[in-house]
Amino acid sequence: MTWTEVVQIMAGFVGSLGFAILFNIRGKRLAAAAVGGLFSWLLYVLLSDCITGEVVVYFVVACIISLYAELMAVWLKTPTTTFIITSLIPLIPGSSLYYTMTSAFQSDPTVFLQRATHTLQLAVALALGIIAVTTLARLSNRVLRRLHRQ
Amino acid sequence: MRRLFGYAMDIGEKMLVCGAEVHRVEETVSRIGYALGAQRVDVFIITSSMVVTIHTPDGETYTQTRRVTASGFDFERLHYLNHLSREICAHQLTSQEIEQRLHAIDTCKRFPLWAEFVSYAVIAGAFTLFFGGGVTEAVVSMLIGVAVRCGLWGADRLVSNKIFGKFLATVIITLLAYLMVSLGGIPTVDKVIIGNIMTLIPGIGLTNAMRDLFTGDSIAGILRTTEAALTALAIAAGYYLVTIIGGLVV
Repeated sequence: MTWTEVVQIMAGFVGSLGFAILFNIRGKRLAAAAVGGLFSWLLYVLLSDCITGEVVVYFVVACIISLYAELMAVWLKTPTTTFIITSLIPLIPGSSLYYTMTSAFQSDPTVFLQRATHTLQLAVALALGIIAVTTLARLSNRVLRRLHRQ
Repeated sequence: MRRLFGYAMDIGEKMLVCGAEVHRVEETVSRIGYALGAQRVDVFIITSSMVVTIHTPDGETYTQTRRVTASGFDFERLHYLNHLSREICAHQLTSQEIEQRLHAIDTCKRFPLWAEFVSYAVIAGAFTLFFGGGVTEAVVSMLIGVAVRCGLWGADRLVSNKIFGKFLATVIITLLAYLMVSLGGIPTVDKVIIGNIMTLIPGIGLTNAMRDLFTGDSIAGILRTTEAALTALAIAAGYYLVTIIGGLVV
């Protein structure tokens, strides 16, 4: 792990913490949300070494973090959204969106299209990862409840 | 029954305002309805409106609609609302008890206003570092972050239109960033703008939109997608306005 990556991971943690405060998360839940932000970029850095393709990495990290969010939600008895939204903040393709924006009026339209597609791909990968885990969690919840009833 | 039904609506409305997903709110309201002894509960909820009908065992029906405005995130309140709804389902609370609880939730703690300003600064600074900016750039970002929060506050007071607020905030960010470059404080505007845009970006909105779409709440999903797209456009428009006018003047 390089020094820049360490800075990024810490910055991701601080960024998530900032958003968690804006969203009025307190106590243990605040800690869990911010640590989720740290995990998400740590995972991204680690997985980037063994998986090729940024989009795939995004999807896998989104899945793992969503699982983390589901577990924290059960443990701290609070809605899952609290952790999903704050923990995945470092993965929001902010710079990708910015460079898409700056290239919109530049001479070469293919650059703009390329960047726009890439930003969209990242966003979709993120959403799909979350949805995959949410769906599974709901399913297992229902199954558990039915077993419990019997 | 009618009175208690009103509380179910109150809880649902407050949950929406605090940023809960549509699916969760629908489930909560219908569960409370059944827990109160309804025979059938029909719920239709989108991000801006609620329509709920309950059928009582003695053949009466009650319908209530709510127009829901404002949406932000307040997960502390959401936590307690969630808690309250579970308790209502588990054991019958009297209307007095519910009212007390709701009042406690309404007055529940928020971080002070200055903490919000600090958060904006810290987020902007952190993401400037995150996307490869230097320490000076991060400090400049933090200062602009405070200006952004002021801009959002002003826009909220003036027109109370979120999208206009984001447009104005982007204008402020871009303007100040270019100003700092021409003063020689920072080498390029990129990292400073990116760090600050992170506080405005509809990333969360878009993610929520996708979740709603894929979990079957299509209308809510479409509403959220549109809102996210408009926000992105507003940010782009703010940026272009400054760069184009700046380009002509300089």
